[in-house]
Amino acid sequence: MPNILVFAESRGTELRKVALETVTAARTVVDAWGGGEVHALVAGAPGVGAKAATLGQHGADVVITCEHPAYARYARESIAATIAARATSAGYRAVLLPFSAQGRDLGPRLAAKLDAPIVSDAIEVSGSGDSLVVKHPGYANKVIVTLTVAGAPAVISIRPSAYSPKDAPRSAKTESMQPAADPAAERVVVKEIIEGAKGKLDLGEASVIVSGGRGLRGPENFKLVEDLAAAFGNAAVGATRAVTDEGWRPHSDQIGQTGRQVSPQLYVAVGISGAIQHLAGMRTSKTIVAINKDPDAPIFKIADYGIVGDVFEVVPALTTAVREARKAH
Amino acid sequence: MTTENVVFLVVVAAAAGFFALNVQRLVHYMRLGHAEPRTDRPAHRVWNVLRVGIAQAKILREPIAGAMHATIFWGFCVLTAGTIELIVAGIFPGFGYDRFLPAGVYGAYQLSQDAFAVFVLGAVAFAYYRRLVLHPRRLEGDNVEHLDAYIILGMIGMLMVTLLLSGGFLAVARPGALTDTRFASSALGAALARVNPESAWVGYRITWWAHALLVLTFLNYLPYSKHLHVASSLFNVFFSNTSWKGERAVMRPMDLEADVEQFGASDVDDLTWKNLLDGYSCTECGRCTAACPANITGKPLSPRKIIVNTRQRLMEKGPLVRDDRMEFLRPMFVHGEGADAGTKTPAQVLENRLLDNYISEDELWACTSCRACVQECPVSIDQLDVINEMRRYLVLSESRFPAEVQPTFESLERNGSPWAFNRADRAQWAQGMSIPTMAELDARGERPDVLFWVGCMGSFDDRAKKITVAFARIMQACGIRFAILGQEEHCHGDPARRLGNEYLYQMLAKDTIQTLNRYQVLTIVTSCPHCFHQLGNEFPQLGGRYEVIHHSTYIERLLQEGRAPLVSEEGKRLTVAYHDSCYLGRYNDIYDAPREALRRALPVVTLVEPPRHRDRGLCCGAGGGRMFMEERVGKRINAERVDELLATGADTIAVACPFCMTMMNDGARSRDASVQVLDIAEVVAQQLA
Amino acid sequence: MCIKRTPDSESRFKIGAGRSAIDETGLKFDMDDFASYAVEVALQMNEKQGPGETVAVAVGPDSVQETLRKAMSMGADRAVQLKTETTPFDGLAVAKAIAAELNGGGYDLILFGKYAFDTSASIVGTAVAELLGVACVTAASTLEIANGRGTARRELEGAGEVVQFSLPAVVTIDEGIARPRYPSLKGIMAAKKKPLETKPAQLGPVRVTVTSMELPPDRPPGRIVGQGAAAVPELVRLLQTEAKVL
Repeated sequence: MPNILVFAESRGTELRKVALETVTAARTVVDAWGGGEVHALVAGAPGVGAKAATLGQHGADVVITCEHPAYARYARESIAATIAARATSAGYRAVLLPFSAQGRDLGPRLAAKLDAPIVSDAIEVSGSGDSLVVKHPGYANKVIVTLTVAGAPAVISIRPSAYSPKDAPRSAKTESMQPAADPAAERVVVKEIIEGAKGKLDLGEASVIVSGGRGLRGPENFKLVEDLAAAFGNAAVGATRAVTDEGWRPHSDQIGQTGRQVSPQLYVAVGISGAIQHLAGMRTSKTIVAINKDPDAPIFKIADYGIVGDVFEVVPALTTAVREARKAH
Repeated sequence: MTTENVVFLVVVAAAAGFFALNVQRLVHYMRLGHAEPRTDRPAHRVWNVLRVGIAQAKILREPIAGAMHATIFWGFCVLTAGTIELIVAGIFPGFGYDRFLPAGVYGAYQLSQDAFAVFVLGAVAFAYYRRLVLHPRRLEGDNVEHLDAYIILGMIGMLMVTLLLSGGFLAVARPGALTDTRFASSALGAALARVNPESAWVGYRITWWAHALLVLTFLNYLPYSKHLHVASSLFNVFFSNTSWKGERAVMRPMDLEADVEQFGASDVDDLTWKNLLDGYSCTECGRCTAACPANITGKPLSPRKIIVNTRQRLMEKGPLVRDDRMEFLRPMFVHGEGADAGTKTPAQVLENRLLDNYISEDELWACTSCRACVQECPVSIDQLDVINEMRRYLVLSESRFPAEVQPTFESLERNGSPWAFNRADRAQWAQGMSIPTMAELDARGERPDVLFWVGCMGSFDDRAKKITVAFARIMQACGIRFAILGQEEHCHGDPARRLGNEYLYQMLAKDTIQTLNRYQVLTIVTSCPHCFHQLGNEFPQLGGRYEVIHHSTYIERLLQEGRAPLVSEEGKRLTVAYHDSCYLGRYNDIYDAPREALRRALPVVTLVEPPRHRDRGLCCGAGGGRMFMEERVGKRINAERVDELLATGADTIAVACPFCMTMMNDGARSRDASVQVLDIAEVVAQQLA
Repeated sequence: MCIKRTPDSESRFKIGAGRSAIDETGLKFDMDDFASYAVEVALQMNEKQGPGETVAVAVGPDSVQETLRKAMSMGADRAVQLKTETTPFDGLAVAKAIAAELNGGGYDLILFGKYAFDTSASIVGTAVAELLGVACVTAASTLEIANGRGTARRELEGAGEVVQFSLPAVVTIDEGIARPRYPSLKGIMAAKKKPLETKPAQLGPVRVTVTSMELPPDRPPGRIVGQGAAAVPELVRLLQTEAKVL
């Protein structure tokens, strides 16, 4: 019976949500085959092994823990060697990882070490026997590519949120192993972690941007925009050219043809009419929300969701609602 | 011939020789510039000399200073006749025009001499008053410049004084030697009546010599002075290309395949000889700078400085590369504008260049290419040509330009529009309007009357799309058979060209020409003045020849022919201020068509004009690629312009250009003004029955 | 620097006949955005640390020569094309071809884009590092080299990370690190004379192949959720359930 090895990602001693998603993905595939085991490997700081039961809860038949104090931080080469060692010794049809920051790094390393074919960022895995069939959004999500992967093991990374964690309880056998490479010999060493709040988030990297336009009527009212950005967690604040020209915000905050071109997951346009100069900088955002009092404003033509209304009334209400929604999450 | 005659002859010969030597040297430097033919259309060029030069047409655009200058200029022309007579008589005693002129004519000639001497004296007095008391802002300059002006005015004044005084003394020494018509000299003679004839004769000889020597000194001072324009400006006007419709303001053709060391200009020897002659011809009157929208709003650009720096740099580099040792006098007289370039040693002279050491990148990028400087220059200098050539160098040779321009270049390259919009969306505005594309007509074997070139603003900008729709509706209402290119249209490259990126421009333009030729397009209408200028005036350089009509002209024609079915009621009374587009007005002389279209469509419209209008209109700030740049220094140009337009009390600002539309709209909003901004097509479309 | 030629991301894609590739008609291809950041970083490094040699490498059919020329017009000294019939989707195979070319080449720094627009896979750079046995840092948003060691900053999910690494190394470059320079005409002319070498790519067995391509369902058209603050709860619900961004 073919088995699947899952890298269950952790941070410190905590499993990450993507770990459960990947186990669920593996369970789904194995179940579709009509049999086979899911083995989950956890590599983390001492104490992470206590979380093994959670993996069993989601469908892992075997949980292999590899604990090391140096794993409190991501030790890329050592962890890659450890997974590869396990994959080589036990023999798997596939190795699944999340397409997270760590998984992006580990996947190709494993593929190279195991001389295994690799597919990244899968949203669906199926097929059996000689070839697996993997769906992967390419061209910046504009085209869904179906790939056939021949040879075993296949290394496949799963897009976060593509599979929702599902209960498939079983009492997982636990095993433990030692790191297959000394984490002290890493060629890349993490010197410092800068938590989001400390460094100002760059517009180009933010996944959420809240932007203000002339509709805010004055620099003092950007507090509304900042509050909404804070409610989203760590969103960046942007502005239109009219606003930076007026000196309400620094020029570095300008989004548009002559400023920054951004495409975050979510773009909230507050009091922005949507001049061509501005649209040229943000229209590729994944989801666009617009709040403007003028129902004819061009911004509504490209917005996914619009609210027609006074920004001074709508934005505070939205800030409160977003804060609560995130708390509940 | 007496000894005095011989001495005079020697003096005259020496002075003429030294002048000729200096002229030869200046011409030698001028020829460091690239060759360029400037003798086509001789009749037109002579006409320019008569109109701009002799008739002082452009000088008189400013009535007071113009009258002052014209008086001195015409005085000079008239008095030169007298000077020639005087010099010949100094060599051949007893010579006078009276030998061959009828007495009446000679009397009139004598009258003209005295009359203009008095007029010129008056004008010189006013000029001093202006410089010393009024201090017009545009006459700002350094100490050398001011001293130069005082010296010249002083010399002109003294020339007149000595001329009149010598006449006065002669009247006393030789009663009857003057004709009665020398009224001023005779009056002076009467005042000097108590001087005895012998002393008067001595006085006559002294003032005569003084006058003659002043003439020769003046002549030899010119090559060292900004007043060289006395000698060069008529030539400059003759060789200028700044006046004829359709071809002026066309950027120079450029051969990108040419095996040249560099593209564009970074120093004086990369310019053409004409650009350098422009330098010789500038008197630093500052009319260009006073009309420059960038300068008016506090940005680091002065078109005068561009030209002064060009001359300054030529005077520094010319002697060195021409190995001219006669230049020991020059440094005292050459003055500059802007910061000292710090050129001290010959090695530094060769190391420095016009760009960076004299003219900064920021100055070049501040230009809106509105042509107000060129329009104003009384001696037909082309400041914009130098700016354009230097922009080309920056982009093509060094890839230096404001960072925010790069997305524009990249979008033009990838998407065929300055903004990163999908070309598939180009004709979205036309949905449901049953407007055929050229491809569709071609497939049916049909041809439209005209091609409607929509342009990128008209295709993608939400506000401009309304103009596009309005114009299309007018044409449909008039039964015009027109088509669009749809997805086959892309930018013709004008923004890239204005931004100095000739390479990208030619790529886009040649591709456009191919498309137009494939459909055998003959006539194009467009609502964008930039497209209009580019397609109509600059495409011929690359072999694309089409009749291109701007929508203002086209609509006006349709209204005039009564083809547009308008509602009969009078509509509400609008007070409209029309804002002139530079590329329509100064580039193409279209001032009346948009105004006429407004009047015809709205019989009760009240047209009001701000002080700056028609060929003096202030740019909206978007031209020359400024649309794609930040405007961080000084007041925003569109705010300045909107303030002017709002001051007229208008309730509507009318425009005929999508870029002006954006700028005027933004300006009005920044002023929280309730004024509406409409394109003329929209005004007319509203009145359609 | 290893670069890729990809279609413009603004394009609207259609699937070609055979349904296993996109329809390339009307598409504008250019150097991939992330690859252009990598080229810029390489050139800046060389200008700062120089004089060294900067080499552009690309795997693909002859059309990639245009992209390699662009890298040279930006300033790269020479270019190598590892020739294939089509652009392969198998990341490991491409990595093997590149590693075979670079092995023993004496490179201090091998730069890639964070990922390429078309495959969007983030495989090749890291796999090349592993195959060559050198350090690898992915998605660097800053990069400094001093005394044979590198320092880079990476933006992770919600936090920044500063890492140090030994040379030689593979670094994949995130956006925002530096604005890629715009080639001057002078550069374009010079690039025509720079050496471009073409070799067959040693891909090895290709095990990942495209079976089919399809377009995702259309994005639902935009809509006005409602008027005023009353519409906020509905908006939040949509952001959570439909757009899944909350």
